[in-house]
Amino acid sequence: MSRPLRIALPKGRMMDEALLLFERMGAAIDPAARDTRRLILPSADGRFEFLPVKSGDVPVYVEAGVADAGVAGLDVLEEHGPDVLRPLDLGFGPCRLAVAGPADAAYPRLAGGGIPRVATKYVESARRYFAGRGVQVELVRISGSVELAPLLGLSDWIVDLVQTGRTLAENGLVVLDDISSSTARLIVNRASHKLRLDDHQRLIADLAKALEG
Amino acid sequence: MQTTLIPNVPPGSLDLLAGDVTRRRRVQRTWFMLAEALGYQEVIPPTFEYEEVFTRSGGPELAARLIRFVDRDGRLVALRADFTSAIARMVATRLADHPGPLRLSYAGKVYRQAPEAVGLRREIFQLGAELIGDPSPEADVEALRLVVGVMRELGVGEFQINLGDIRFIRPLLHGLPPDQALALRTAIDRKDRAALAAGAREFGAPAAVARALVELPELIGRGGVLKRARSLASGSEAEDAIERLRQVDALLSDDERRHVVYDLGEIRGLGYYSGIQFEVFVAGVGRAVGYGGRYDGLLAQYGADRPAVGFALETDALADLLRGDES
Repeated sequence: MSRPLRIALPKGRMMDEALLLFERMGAAIDPAARDTRRLILPSADGRFEFLPVKSGDVPVYVEAGVADAGVAGLDVLEEHGPDVLRPLDLGFGPCRLAVAGPADAAYPRLAGGGIPRVATKYVESARRYFAGRGVQVELVRISGSVELAPLLGLSDWIVDLVQTGRTLAENGLVVLDDISSSTARLIVNRASHKLRLDDHQRLIADLAKALEG
Repeated sequence: MQTTLIPNVPPGSLDLLAGDVTRRRRVQRTWFMLAEALGYQEVIPPTFEYEEVFTRSGGPELAARLIRFVDRDGRLVALRADFTSAIARMVATRLADHPGPLRLSYAGKVYRQAPEAVGLRREIFQLGAELIGDPSPEADVEALRLVVGVMRELGVGEFQINLGDIRFIRPLLHGLPPDQALALRTAIDRKDRAALAAGAREFGAPAAVARALVELPELIGRGGVLKRARSLASGSEAEDAIERLRQVDALLSDDERRHVVYDLGEIRGLGYYSGIQFEVFVAGVGRAVGYGGRYDGLLAQYGADRPAVGFALETDALADLLRGDES
């Protein structure tokens, strides 16, 4: 048998959901490797090697071809724009990208004019969204605790992922506008898809079947 | 006296030294030996051209990646982003009276803007050939044979040519408004069957077109795929595409055919391809190491309507493959 397909998975809840799906198609993680500190986790049936990485890094590994395929949220794909195949919507990990701000925030224009400041991790997606609506903003790229930005006066609004809205509410923020909704996608390296066609077609078909079941 | 040192080069620029140079030169020498033996003459197009040479031919993807500047007279010029466009311009203007067919080869750098990502340089070494003035399937095969030849001479045993024909896909998008055509092109490019099915439904595609669209991501494989594609072909243009691929298949030797996989669902090519198109893959390299195809309409844009077929290989990627030999 050829070497296992290497699958990059985003650490966290989305990885657990992805592994459940692989388990349903008979490719659970090898029990010997579970709960170890190994960086590459083989599946018990030998078909796959799972590579847990940070969610934003999944497209990087797959585009470069060091992982044959991966699981990434649509939000991450829209932000990074990697040149990869996206054959399947896996349906889990639903969230939406939204503009949020204090409940009394002026939107989409500031009271009395002025250029609004927007703090976000999703700079590209935010830039595209506001440009598409003809709203000029100043984007501030930060990498965590985005909800703090309006409270401390760093920005007027934020653009961030919203799952339940609880974190927003705890910080006195509300959704002002929806940008897009997202679910997890299977992504595949273009060259690997050509060179290992049978393996990839089987993976896509098996995942599609596991999703139905 | 105080001098200020220039500490570095811009991102995407590289100094090449030692082995990186010898390996590239070895690839180029191997290429020119083979090309010359088969009657291909080297040409050297200029390093920069009027930007229209690339914007008109290569489509929006290439246009967005040009490195441009303003010339003395105020006209926009661009660094050579594609040899084929430059050579088409050269042949249509300088060699318009040549009775043909013309066999031309080249090796050098192309310059393209690239996002900062893994291994994306802004100066890329390429090599390749153009066969101008011959519309036949034999000419298509000659181009493929050159690719197979240079890979063998370089000692790259395991490589794969994914071969399709853009005329199979084009009729499926015919007559759609630009935004719908773009949505389907994106779905085809990503091999997203669900989006293809949804698009076909939403845009009211006829049943035969919808069926072909959804099958596109799966139309990859050896000779048998041509039969399946033939049963999905809608209209004479798509039928011509399959007929041409069959002719090409019949002309290939068994040893050449071993490297060819038919791939009808690929639309990666630059905007100017008009018939067969292909990409070259090598195990362990995460992206295509070469691309080519037929571009019968391109020379007409410069005033000389002549059929042509050609390809470019990524010299940098081929040189990196040679690293294994040396250790």
